[in-house]
Amino acid sequence: MNDSGQLYTIEGVAAAIMMVITAYLVISSASIFTPQEKHVAQMQLEQLGHDALVVMDTPRENGVQSNLSDAISSDKPEWFKANYSPLINTRTDGTQDTLNYSMSVFYWDSDTDSTKEIEFFNEWDYHRENAAKVTQWAYIESGTDRTAVLQDTIVLVEVLLWRD
Amino acid sequence: MARLNDSGQWIVMMGFIVSIAIFLLALVVAESAIVGKTTSESVLEFPKTDIQDLRSELMTLTWEDLDKTNYQYDIVNLSLERKNAVVRYQLDQTGEVPILYIHYNNGITQYNEIYFED
Repeated sequence: MNDSGQLYTIEGVAAAIMMVITAYLVISSASIFTPQEKHVAQMQLEQLGHDALVVMDTPRENGVQSNLSDAISSDKPEWFKANYSPLINTRTDGTQDTLNYSMSVFYWDSDTDSTKEIEFFNEWDYHRENAAKVTQWAYIESGTDRTAVLQDTIVLVEVLLWRD
Repeated sequence: MARLNDSGQWIVMMGFIVSIAIFLLALVVAESAIVGKTTSESVLEFPKTDIQDLRSELMTLTWEDLDKTNYQYDIVNLSLERKNAVVRYQLDQTGEVPILYIHYNNGITQYNEIYFED
């Protein structure tokens, strides 16, 4: 029997097994990258959105309403947009980022003992993009028009943020 | 019988070493991906901003306003319905200085604080 090629056979089998295992490991680890990237992006989106809300809820001086409370109590969604968009969509090179958002105000209705929602700002359609939800408490002294039900109350502002 | 040709044995050995090295590198890559995932997940899960917001909202209220039942209802009920968090706070004015008890629990993270001004 001619057995002069045995070493080559063993080498071939070993190399094949190693290549298969390596390819499997590389492919399976690379597929984890997608959810990981999603989580990091979501985390950054959440922090950016929340920071911007905190900035908006900070009054300019003592005894004055914050921009957030001001926009809600005056029922002016365009004021909210004018303040919030520059905070989250400004890039360092002067161009605008493409973050979209919608904002709702939730309040507790003590007459019906239930949570009620005011769809305060809803300009862009949400098509199930990867979104982050951020919230902020706000004190409303007296509302007008749509927010007229809010008199001396604490509301929860919810912003849904997504990248267009 | 023909003699086995063994002049290329070191090539075979290098092949083994290189493939083991690639195998180990792939393990490292797989580990790093999992680490990044769990880190950002734990950041997302931890209600840091919820607790900060609750504290800052309570601190902006004056001591007299804190006890108003309609503010209590607003914060407690909205926390439960919109954030799935049990929130309780209570102002104790029987002692020398007023003490504020804050309790927060969203099922994963629990936070208790006893706050008073010196």
